[in-house]
Amino acid sequence: MASSKIIVNYFDLTGRAEIIRLVLVYAGKEFEDNRISRDKWPEIKPKSPFGQLPFVEIDGKVYGQSLALANFFAREFNLYGRSNLDSLKIDQVAQLNEDFFQEVVKVFTADPEKKAEVEKKLQEEAAPKFWGFYERLLKENNGRYFVDDEVTLADLIVYDAITGFIGSFTGPLPDRYPLLKALVEKIGSNQRIAAYKAKHQ
Amino acid sequence: MAPKSMRLIYFDARGKAEISRLVLAAAGQTYEDVRLTKEQWPAEKPNTPFLQLPVLEIDGKRYGQSIAIATYLAREFGFCGKSNIEELQINQAIQLAVDLMNTGSKAFYESDPAKKFPKYFQFFEKLLKESGTGFVVGNSLTLADIVFYDLVFNYISRKVASIEGYPLLQALSKTVESNEKIKAYLAARKPTEF
Repeated sequence: MASSKIIVNYFDLTGRAEIIRLVLVYAGKEFEDNRISRDKWPEIKPKSPFGQLPFVEIDGKVYGQSLALANFFAREFNLYGRSNLDSLKIDQVAQLNEDFFQEVVKVFTADPEKKAEVEKKLQEEAAPKFWGFYERLLKENNGRYFVDDEVTLADLIVYDAITGFIGSFTGPLPDRYPLLKALVEKIGSNQRIAAYKAKHQ
Repeated sequence: MAPKSMRLIYFDARGKAEISRLVLAAAGQTYEDVRLTKEQWPAEKPNTPFLQLPVLEIDGKRYGQSIAIATYLAREFGFCGKSNIEELQINQAIQLAVDLMNTGSKAFYESDPAKKFPKYFQFFEKLLKESGTGFVVGNSLTLADIVFYDLVFNYISRKVASIEGYPLLQALSKTVESNEKIKAYLAARKPTEF
């Protein structure tokens, strides 16, 4: 894997691909960050395994499903915990976040006249629910990280939920989640992450 | 380190717990298969990590999220591939199935539900073709096979889809059903609507 050639294919957005990019950036693994414009997508589509983005080429073979890929790279680069139980704790966060993502999907698939109402529900009910779960899980561990005493995929997933795609629909994190705020600060000020984010403002 | 005691807590249904039960069955693993009634649920709800079922209790500690639980069990008992790339392929297949289930509830209310499924069944068939072993990944039973099997079983038993025209998917269903331990489990399984 250290010498593997990796190409992440996605639109020029955070969206579903950002977690893959964050894992690779955090791990210091070089990759081609192939950002595709909407009009180029139809000609690239046949290359994708399931007619969707993101898809990732690993030494010439293509794979889809952002969470499967994020997990894979997390395992490759020791960001997936030290035991099966650690991995369960990480997957718990990852799957909760998938549920959170589905709440956001409700907003952009809502009928135009229902959209404002659905968005309000996301911001006032769903977001506090998931933020609350994440804050509690941090507290139940050691207040600093989701698993053990180091960054794992779970921390990057929640960082992405707050600063990336989900966060753009929920609005900024309220102050009543101090542990989450501290986590986002810490990940955001990681040298590699900060440099990467600066490139894609 | 294998857990000393496990309880899988859910309703009296297959639903989101069944893939975990199938993994445990295939592994020949004893566990407590706790089934709550609708009346018991309100009192139990605050005792769950995320106010939902299923919950897996491992040596007294509770965990939620059906896919996380099933994957933990699959890894614990050797149904999650023999390499990281195999685990990627297994997760890829499972996430595809989850995508289908996410669109599936909408399709249930659509006038032509058959529209949604062919796309995904084609992907499942494609993965099986690429594998060429009769299993989704590698050459033995993994969580990917169990997830596909359970999904197909649900859709067919509720008559919302058919796998006519997907011979590899049909064969996979039979393969999973004829796994010795799963066969015994299915024979004893009480039929439930969901």
